[in-house]
Amino acid sequence: MVVFGLWVINKAGGLVYQRNFTDGLAQLTSNEYLVLAGTLHGIHAITSRLSPTGPSSGAQVIEGESFKLTILLTVTGTKFVLLTPLVGTAAESTLQKVYEIYSDTVMKNPFHTPEMPIRIDGFDSRITALLGSGQS
Amino acid sequence: MTIYSLYIFDRHCACVYYHDWHRTKQTRPAMEGGLLKAVSRAVAPRQVDSGTTAAPSTFSSPRNTLVSTTGAVVAIGEDPSAGTAPPTATVRPGVNTLTFDEEAKLVYGVILSLRNMIKKLSGRDEHFTSFRTSTYKLHLYETLSGYKFIMLSDPSTDGLRFVLRQIYSGPFVDYVARNPLVPMDSREQGIDNEYFRASVDRMVRGLSVFA
Repeated sequence: MVVFGLWVINKAGGLVYQRNFTDGLAQLTSNEYLVLAGTLHGIHAITSRLSPTGPSSGAQVIEGESFKLTILLTVTGTKFVLLTPLVGTAAESTLQKVYEIYSDTVMKNPFHTPEMPIRIDGFDSRITALLGSGQS
Repeated sequence: MTIYSLYIFDRHCACVYYHDWHRTKQTRPAMEGGLLKAVSRAVAPRQVDSGTTAAPSTFSSPRNTLVSTTGAVVAIGEDPSAGTAPPTATVRPGVNTLTFDEEAKLVYGVILSLRNMIKKLSGRDEHFTSFRTSTYKLHLYETLSGYKFIMLSDPSTDGLRFVLRQIYSGPFVDYVARNPLVPMDSREQGIDNEYFRASVDRMVRGLSVFA
């Protein structure tokens, strides 16, 4: 499965992990990624209010013409965002596996401060095993 | 499978047309001054016709040259809930629901932000096309002249941009762009008129996803 990138956004809208895998999208600076993550956090909250019928979740999939963002919101408010091509349906299950890895290697790590950027080798290597290596 | 609503925004960020079908959660009518004239009678600010009947209020409205409450066209295509009578059958929205002008601003803000985000991420001139939540899916089609056609549908529908494009190339061009009574880009008035509304209504009701 081709994956362009993975983001982890904390419950305050800060980008705590960002990694590119396959080329295909623009190379942005880390500052630009931070801005985009914050924007996405806000949009996600608004989209749940625009529902024309009963209560709605926030945006789950956002599509452009050649790629899409699949968003997994955990019950604790952390968002996992996967950037993939339009074709392919494995994005949701991949995000579940990423969440599992995050729980195992980040949340159980006593040296990690919650809501802070993730700099943990175990997380990096298991994500690499799942999604393939890329430029960090 | 269903279609909930259609918004059209012009290039000045103003909502110029609104139409809804199977929407169960209604907004409150727009605040006075929050919405252009001739966008949709269903959501227009409601204070003129509160004590009196609908006829004098539409007569005093400056769009009475375009829209009249009588005539055959209202009968064939007009959604009853979008007509002159306020939607009394549905549950009256509570005070914590959005007014229509607030909702229109949120819709515009979301699509504008997502459009910029997609453009930035792709690094090309790529368009944002749709997003999906657990209860609805929003589709966007933007014309070269800056009009944005936005449709909300069931989350399981495929892309509906072709429908929005058909609305643009069919009813919109015929009854708005070629209509000398519709001031486009006026910043003062929407584009609602009974031919356009009836034609859009017929087109959407004829879709296979409309049920």
